Amino acid sequence: MRQFFPVEDLARDERFVQTNMAERMKDGRTAIDVEKQSSAKSRGATKRLTPERHDASDAARGLMHGIMVGEIQALEGAGRTAHDFAAGDGTNDTVPFELKLDMARQAWDEARHVEISAKLSDWMGTELGEFAENTVLFEAACSNDPILRLAGVNRALEGLAIDVFTQMKEFGDVAGDPFLEFCEDWMLADEVTHVKMGSDWLRKVTANDPDRRTKALEFQQVVDKLFSFGGARGESADSSFSLARRFRELAGFTDDEVETISAMDAEALEERKEAVRKYRERVGADA
Amino acid sequence: MTDTSQIESTARPPFAPWDRRDIPGSFSVDETARRVGNYKWTEMKLFEALGGWVATVPELDVKMRLGTHCYHHAWHADLWHKRLPELREMKPERLTVPANAAMERFIEAMTEPEAPELTIEKLVGVYRVLIPRFIAAYTYHRNNTSEITDAPTIRSINFILQDEFDDWRDGEMLLQSLITTPDHVRRAAEHQARLEAIMVEAGGITGPDSIGTAETTSTEGGA
Repeated sequence: MRQFFPVEDLARDERFVQTNMAERMKDGRTAIDVEKQSSAKSRGATKRLTPERHDASDAARGLMHGIMVGEIQALEGAGRTAHDFAAGDGTNDTVPFELKLDMARQAWDEARHVEISAKLSDWMGTELGEFAENTVLFEAACSNDPILRLAGVNRALEGLAIDVFTQMKEFGDVAGDPFLEFCEDWMLADEVTHVKMGSDWLRKVTANDPDRRTKALEFQQVVDKLFSFGGARGESADSSFSLARRFRELAGFTDDEVETISAMDAEALEERKEAVRKYRERVGADA
Repeated sequence: MTDTSQIESTARPPFAPWDRRDIPGSFSVDETARRVGNYKWTEMKLFEALGGWVATVPELDVKMRLGTHCYHHAWHADLWHKRLPELREMKPERLTVPANAAMERFIEAMTEPEAPELTIEKLVGVYRVLIPRFIAAYTYHRNNTSEITDAPTIRSINFILQDEFDDWRDGEMLLQSLITTPDHVRRAAEHQARLEAIMVEAGGITGPDSIGTAETTSTEGGA
């Protein structure tokens, strides 16, 4: 078995259709209102997932399917990190033995999350593979530096999972679906643990290597921005879900780090609006 | 003045009548540490392989089982890692080694299959060759070590054996559901035979004495 496993080789059965972030973001069917300057206070045109939205059912099903394939990739990523690096002192392509154990534990947690989200998807009337699978998550787990993987996956991606699960838990509560709320609450507890694992190991392994820590945190910011899905996460009403600030604190994020992510989310939203605006101009010119 | 003849005695023998545990055991502290080091090395190789394979198998149920079992074996490795210093080995990595070169070759051969169409081969190596060897070696160790002096090892083995039996059952049932044609049967049997031959050369998880021999095993054991 190879030491590193490329994203294009991820094994799937024939029901799954894979795509990437670039393909998804250039999709002109985006519902972003590029002309309107929204704020958290202008709830009239909110993109938040609420039962009142006319497309609430499909949006919730799509989000749940996205969670499920994300959990599959998180399972694969944790498994690869447990495999790809030998036990050692954290230098020269090694990771501490206990870090490998944490990754194995995370693999088990993610396997349960796949089970949970597969059952929830079925409960919501969704078939496996009904929505396209974005493989961006596993891409963040492909770095040759294990610390970059922790920054990109455990801190950025699992941080996103905290935000999404908080949103889905609230949706379950508001929609009167205790089954959904129950499951999301349990998964949320695991995700906080995973983010904390990432925060703790990042600090420990780079304690005497400030350059490596800086590089890892920069990578995290890149991934954070990528994972904001063009502003789908953020404080604006144009964003589908918000930053779960309290749970992020529990997971080891500082106030400054949360503010930085919030600012990047807003920036990503504006960039996405600009991209959609240009796309529409081009389509209009071609027509 | 108290009449002592009226006080009910609390004096009892140190071992209750039903407690038949005894001191004699087949393994010294050093020999136990050597075996535990072999267990840890092999459990590590197994959890690494299971974790690595998750991304390579297309079958969703298999993918999830591998992720779950990956943690079981990581936990076993951790139990042995923590046991080693209790057995006077302050540098656990010194004894975290394969029993011999053949055992190392076995792991290389077992982890060789990577392609998505080789799920049967992956599972055969783990659930029809390696885990049965683990069950055998752990059972031999548990039944031959001192029930009193080495109780911590026995306690860990009992927890671990429960996992091994459960995981073996999971893996075997997955295999039975995947092996549905004569060609599948041939592939499974050929791969098992190839791996089994290397394992026989290795002698098992801890080498040729993994499950003892007629000469070394007695009903009394040795102190």
